Amino acid sequence: MKKLSIKVATMSLAAAVCNTTALAETVPITGMVESRCIIQTDTPGIYGNPSAYTLTTDPTLGGVPAIVRIDVTLADAYYAAITAPTEFSSSPNLPDIVTWVGDTEVEAMTDAAGMGNYEADKVEYNYTDRYDLTATGSTWFKTTSEATLGGTRPFPGGNYTALVTAECIAK
Amino acid sequence: MKHVKYFLYGIILSIAIASCTEAVAHEMLPTYPKMEASHIKDVYVTTMRMFNKRQEVEFYEIGVFDEDWKPIPFVTSYSVIKIEYLGRVEFDLYIRKSDVDKAEYICSKSKLRKQNEIVTAIASRICSRIK
Repeated sequence: MKKLSIKVATMSLAAAVCNTTALAETVPITGMVESRCIIQTDTPGIYGNPSAYTLTTDPTLGGVPAIVRIDVTLADAYYAAITAPTEFSSSPNLPDIVTWVGDTEVEAMTDAAGMGNYEADKVEYNYTDRYDLTATGSTWFKTTSEATLGGTRPFPGGNYTALVTAECIAK
Repeated sequence: MKHVKYFLYGIILSIAIASCTEAVAHEMLPTYPKMEASHIKDVYVTTMRMFNKRQEVEFYEIGVFDEDWKPIPFVTSYSVIKIEYLGRVEFDLYIRKSDVDKAEYICSKSKLRKQNEIVTAIASRICSRIK
Protein backbone atom coordinates (compact mmCIF):
# COMPACT_ATOMS: atom_id res chain seq x y z
CA MET A 1 0.00 0.00 0.00
CA LYS A 2 2.86 2.30 0.96
CA LYS A 3 4.59 1.42 -2.34
CA LEU A 4 1.44 2.26 -4.26
CA SER A 5 1.21 5.66 -2.50
CA ILE A 6 4.82 6.45 -3.40
CA LYS A 7 4.15 5.49 -7.03
CA VAL A 8 1.06 7.69 -7.21
CA ALA A 9 2.94 10.61 -5.61
CA THR A 10 5.84 10.20 -8.06
CA MET A 11 3.48 10.11 -11.04
CA SER A 12 1.63 13.18 -9.78
CA LEU A 13 4.92 15.06 -9.41
CA ALA A 14 5.98 14.02 -12.92
CA ALA A 15 2.63 15.13 -14.31
CA ALA A 16 2.97 18.50 -12.54
CA VAL A 17 6.48 19.01 -13.96
CA CYS A 18 5.28 18.11 -17.46
CA ASN A 19 2.37 20.49 -17.11
CA THR A 20 4.68 23.29 -15.97
CA THR A 21 6.99 22.61 -18.93
CA ALA A 22 4.03 22.71 -21.29
CA LEU A 23 3.04 26.09 -19.86
CA ALA A 24 6.57 27.43 -20.31
CA GLU A 25 6.49 26.44 -23.97
CA THR A 26 3.46 28.58 -24.71
CA VAL A 27 5.21 31.89 -23.98
CA PRO A 28 4.44 33.95 -27.09
CA ILE A 29 6.94 35.74 -29.27
CA THR A 30 5.21 38.61 -30.97
CA GLY A 31 6.23 40.32 -34.15
CA MET A 32 4.77 42.46 -36.88
CA VAL A 33 5.41 42.16 -40.59
CA GLU A 34 5.59 45.48 -42.41
CA SER A 35 6.63 46.45 -45.87
CA ARG A 36 10.26 47.35 -45.76
CA CYS A 37 13.47 47.86 -47.65
CA ILE A 38 16.74 46.63 -46.23
CA ILE A 39 20.12 47.65 -47.58
CA GLN A 40 22.79 45.03 -47.05
CA THR A 41 26.42 45.90 -47.63
CA ASP A 42 27.43 42.60 -49.18
CA THR A 43 30.99 43.41 -50.31
CA PRO A 44 32.79 46.68 -49.66
CA GLY A 45 34.96 47.15 -52.73
CA ILE A 46 38.71 47.41 -52.81
CA TYR A 47 40.81 49.49 -55.19
CA GLY A 48 43.62 47.78 -57.00
CA ASN A 49 46.55 49.92 -58.08
CA PRO A 50 47.59 48.50 -61.48
CA SER A 51 49.53 51.61 -62.48
CA ALA A 52 50.92 54.55 -60.54
CA TYR A 53 48.14 56.88 -61.66
CA THR A 54 45.14 54.48 -61.56
CA LEU A 55 42.99 53.04 -58.80
CA THR A 56 40.38 50.57 -60.00
CA THR A 57 37.92 47.99 -58.65
CA ASP A 58 38.40 45.86 -61.81
CA PRO A 59 39.02 42.29 -60.55
CA THR A 60 41.45 41.59 -63.38
CA LEU A 61 43.58 44.48 -62.15
CA GLY A 62 43.62 43.56 -58.49
CA GLY A 63 40.45 45.30 -57.37
CA VAL A 64 37.13 44.15 -55.94
CA PRO A 65 33.83 45.78 -57.02
CA ALA A 66 31.43 46.89 -54.29
CA ILE A 67 28.28 44.78 -54.03
CA VAL A 68 25.10 45.94 -52.33
CA ARG A 69 22.08 43.73 -51.74
CA ILE A 70 18.66 45.31 -51.44
CA ASP A 71 15.75 43.31 -50.01
CA VAL A 72 12.17 44.47 -50.42
CA THR A 73 9.08 42.83 -48.98
CA LEU A 74 6.48 44.85 -50.88
CA ALA A 75 6.39 44.94 -54.67
CA ASP A 76 6.38 48.24 -56.51
CA ALA A 77 6.95 50.32 -53.36
CA TYR A 78 10.59 51.41 -53.70
CA TYR A 79 13.24 52.78 -56.01
CA ALA A 80 16.86 51.80 -55.52
CA ALA A 81 19.48 54.38 -56.43
CA ILE A 82 23.13 53.39 -56.46
CA THR A 83 25.75 56.10 -56.94
CA ALA A 84 29.35 55.34 -57.85
CA PRO A 85 32.06 57.45 -56.19
CA THR A 86 32.94 60.87 -57.62
CA GLU A 87 35.50 61.87 -55.00
CA PHE A 88 37.62 60.41 -52.27
CA SER A 89 36.19 60.72 -48.79
CA SER A 90 39.72 60.44 -47.47
CA SER A 91 43.04 60.60 -49.28
CA PRO A 92 46.42 62.29 -49.10
CA ASN A 93 46.75 65.73 -50.76
CA LEU A 94 46.50 65.19 -54.50
CA PRO A 95 48.63 67.15 -56.96
CA ASP A 96 46.08 67.10 -59.81
CA ILE A 97 42.43 66.55 -60.72
CA VAL A 98 41.04 63.02 -60.51
CA THR A 99 38.91 61.67 -63.36
CA TRP A 100 36.24 59.23 -62.24
CA VAL A 101 34.56 56.42 -64.13
CA GLY A 102 31.85 54.38 -62.44
CA ASP A 103 28.92 52.17 -63.25
CA THR A 104 26.38 49.94 -61.52
CA GLU A 105 24.70 46.81 -62.82
CA VAL A 106 22.46 44.07 -61.48
CA GLU A 107 24.72 41.22 -60.41
CA ALA A 108 22.14 38.67 -59.20
CA MET A 109 18.50 38.38 -58.19
CA THR A 110 16.19 35.98 -56.40
CA ASP A 111 13.33 36.26 -58.89
CA ALA A 112 14.53 36.11 -62.48
CA ALA A 113 11.01 36.46 -63.88
CA GLY A 114 10.07 39.50 -61.84
CA MET A 115 13.45 41.22 -61.74
CA GLY A 116 14.88 40.25 -65.12
CA ASN A 117 14.12 43.63 -66.66
CA TYR A 118 15.68 45.74 -63.88
CA GLU A 119 18.92 46.31 -65.77
CA ALA A 120 17.23 47.15 -69.08
CA ASP A 121 14.75 49.51 -67.44
CA LYS A 122 17.16 51.39 -65.19
CA VAL A 123 17.54 55.15 -65.48
CA GLU A 124 21.12 56.47 -65.51
CA TYR A 125 21.91 60.00 -64.46
CA ASN A 126 25.58 60.95 -64.17
CA TYR A 127 27.01 58.43 -61.70
CA THR A 128 23.62 57.34 -60.32
CA ASP A 129 21.67 54.34 -61.59
CA ARG A 130 18.04 54.21 -60.50
CA TYR A 131 16.10 50.94 -60.48
CA ASP A 132 12.36 50.49 -60.08
CA LEU A 133 11.96 47.61 -57.61
CA THR A 134 8.76 46.13 -58.98
CA ALA A 135 9.12 42.67 -57.39
CA THR A 136 9.68 41.36 -53.88
CA GLY A 137 12.94 39.65 -53.03
CA SER A 138 16.64 40.38 -53.06
CA THR A 139 18.70 42.05 -55.76
CA TRP A 140 22.48 42.35 -55.77
CA PHE A 141 23.96 45.46 -57.40
CA LYS A 142 27.61 45.59 -58.43
CA THR A 143 29.36 48.97 -58.61
CA THR A 144 32.67 49.43 -60.35
CA SER A 145 34.84 52.50 -59.97
CA GLU A 146 38.04 53.80 -61.47
CA ALA A 147 40.01 56.90 -60.50
CA THR A 148 42.77 58.31 -62.70
CA LEU A 149 45.01 61.12 -61.58
CA GLY A 150 45.46 63.90 -64.13
CA GLY A 151 48.64 64.26 -66.17
CA THR A 152 49.41 60.59 -65.59
CA ARG A 153 50.96 61.63 -62.31
CA PRO A 154 51.38 58.96 -59.65
CA PHE A 155 48.96 58.84 -56.74
CA PRO A 156 50.83 59.88 -53.57
CA GLY A 157 51.34 57.08 -51.06
CA GLY A 158 48.64 56.84 -48.40
CA ASN A 159 45.17 55.58 -47.70
CA TYR A 160 42.28 56.21 -50.08
CA THR A 161 38.59 55.75 -49.42
CA ALA A 162 35.67 56.50 -51.71
CA LEU A 163 31.98 56.03 -51.02
CA VAL A 164 29.37 54.13 -52.98
CA THR A 165 25.94 55.38 -51.91
CA ALA A 166 23.05 52.91 -51.91
CA GLU A 167 19.59 54.40 -51.45
CA CYS A 168 16.17 52.89 -51.04
CA ILE A 169 13.44 55.45 -51.61
CA ALA A 170 9.75 54.79 -51.02
CA LYS A 171 7.56 55.60 -54.03
CA MET B 1 26.05 7.93 -46.33
CA LYS B 2 27.69 10.03 -49.03
CA HIS B 3 24.45 11.98 -49.53
CA VAL B 4 24.19 12.67 -45.81
CA LYS B 5 27.75 14.05 -45.88
CA TYR B 6 26.89 16.41 -48.79
CA PHE B 7 23.69 17.40 -47.02
CA LEU B 8 25.63 18.35 -43.88
CA TYR B 9 28.20 20.27 -45.97
CA GLY B 10 25.27 22.10 -47.59
CA ILE B 11 23.84 23.08 -44.23
CA ILE B 12 27.22 24.30 -42.95
CA LEU B 13 27.77 26.29 -46.16
CA SER B 14 24.30 27.85 -45.95
CA ILE B 15 24.86 28.89 -42.34
CA ALA B 16 28.25 30.38 -43.28
CA ILE B 17 26.75 32.34 -46.19
CA ALA B 18 23.82 33.51 -44.08
CA SER B 19 26.08 34.65 -41.27
CA CYS B 20 28.31 36.49 -43.75
CA THR B 21 25.51 38.32 -45.47
CA GLU B 22 23.06 39.08 -42.69
CA ALA B 23 25.21 41.11 -40.35
CA VAL B 24 25.47 44.21 -42.48
CA ALA B 25 22.05 45.74 -42.93
CA HIS B 26 20.35 49.07 -42.39
CA GLU B 27 16.59 49.23 -41.90
CA MET B 28 14.07 52.00 -41.18
CA LEU B 29 10.33 51.73 -40.60
CA PRO B 30 7.58 52.55 -41.30
CA THR B 31 7.81 52.86 -45.06
CA TYR B 32 4.84 55.23 -45.17
CA PRO B 33 4.77 57.25 -41.93
CA LYS B 34 1.76 59.40 -41.15
CA MET B 35 2.14 62.84 -39.55
CA GLU B 36 -0.26 63.42 -36.67
CA ALA B 37 -0.98 66.37 -34.42
CA SER B 38 1.36 66.42 -31.44
CA HIS B 39 0.87 67.76 -27.91
CA ILE B 40 2.44 71.03 -29.11
CA LYS B 41 0.24 73.49 -30.99
CA ASP B 42 0.91 73.66 -34.75
CA VAL B 43 3.48 70.89 -34.63
CA TYR B 44 3.04 67.45 -36.15
CA VAL B 45 4.77 64.27 -35.09
CA THR B 46 5.50 60.78 -36.34
CA THR B 47 7.44 57.90 -34.83
CA MET B 48 10.18 56.14 -36.77
CA ARG B 49 12.05 52.98 -35.96
CA MET B 50 15.54 51.97 -37.02
CA PHE B 51 17.55 48.80 -36.78
CA ASN B 52 21.30 48.66 -37.25
CA LYS B 53 22.92 45.45 -38.44
CA ARG B 54 25.96 47.23 -39.84
CA GLN B 55 28.81 46.46 -37.49
CA GLU B 56 31.03 49.19 -38.94
CA VAL B 57 28.34 51.90 -38.54
CA GLU B 58 27.29 53.47 -35.25
CA PHE B 59 25.67 56.71 -36.35
CA TYR B 60 22.80 57.54 -38.69
CA GLU B 61 21.84 61.03 -39.81
CA ILE B 62 18.16 61.90 -40.14
CA GLY B 63 16.87 64.26 -42.82
CA VAL B 64 13.48 65.47 -44.04
CA PHE B 65 13.03 66.59 -47.65
CA ASP B 66 10.37 67.94 -49.97
CA GLU B 67 9.54 66.39 -53.35
CA ASP B 68 12.50 68.24 -54.94
CA TRP B 69 14.86 66.90 -52.26
CA LYS B 70 15.23 70.30 -50.63
CA PRO B 71 15.67 70.04 -46.85
CA ILE B 72 12.69 70.75 -44.58
CA PRO B 73 13.22 71.88 -40.96
CA PHE B 74 12.40 69.23 -38.39
CA VAL B 75 13.21 68.31 -34.83
CA THR B 76 14.33 65.01 -33.35
CA SER B 77 16.16 64.43 -30.10
CA TYR B 78 19.40 64.26 -32.13
CA SER B 79 19.81 64.78 -35.86
CA VAL B 80 22.57 62.16 -35.78
CA ILE B 81 21.41 59.12 -33.87
CA LYS B 82 23.70 56.57 -32.31
CA ILE B 83 22.58 52.98 -32.78
CA GLU B 84 24.69 50.15 -31.45
CA TYR B 85 25.31 47.11 -33.62
CA LEU B 86 22.13 44.98 -33.60
CA GLY B 87 20.40 47.78 -31.72
CA ARG B 88 16.93 49.21 -32.30
CA VAL B 89 15.98 52.83 -31.85
CA GLU B 90 12.57 54.46 -31.89
CA PHE B 91 12.40 58.23 -32.21
CA ASP B 92 9.79 60.95 -32.64
CA LEU B 93 10.18 63.40 -35.48
CA TYR B 94 8.43 66.79 -35.31
CA ILE B 95 7.57 69.06 -38.24
CA ARG B 96 5.86 72.47 -38.13
CA LYS B 97 2.32 72.67 -39.45
CA SER B 98 3.49 75.17 -42.08
CA ASP B 99 5.99 72.60 -43.42
CA VAL B 100 4.05 69.41 -43.01
CA ASP B 101 2.36 69.55 -46.42
CA LYS B 102 5.70 70.12 -48.14
CA ALA B 103 7.51 67.29 -46.32
CA GLU B 104 7.70 64.25 -48.58
CA TYR B 105 10.60 62.05 -47.45
CA ILE B 106 12.14 61.08 -44.11
CA CYS B 107 15.58 59.65 -44.66
CA SER B 108 18.29 58.02 -42.58
CA LYS B 109 21.84 57.88 -43.85
CA SER B 110 24.75 55.91 -42.43
CA LYS B 111 27.71 57.95 -41.22
CA LEU B 112 30.97 56.20 -41.84
CA ARG B 113 34.18 56.64 -39.93
CA LYS B 114 37.41 57.30 -41.78
CA GLN B 115 38.83 53.98 -42.92
CA ASN B 116 42.47 53.02 -43.01
CA GLU B 117 42.44 50.92 -46.14
CA ILE B 118 42.24 51.51 -49.88
CA VAL B 119 38.55 50.73 -50.16
CA THR B 120 35.23 51.81 -51.55
CA ALA B 121 33.03 52.00 -48.49
CA ILE B 122 29.25 51.80 -48.83
CA ALA B 123 27.00 54.53 -47.48
CA SER B 124 23.38 53.45 -47.15
CA ARG B 125 20.34 55.71 -47.15
CA ILE B 126 16.70 54.67 -46.67
CA CYS B 127 13.89 57.12 -47.31
CA SER B 128 10.33 56.64 -46.13
CA ARG B 129 7.57 58.57 -47.84
CA ILE B 130 5.10 60.59 -45.78
CA LYS B 131 1.47 59.75 -46.49
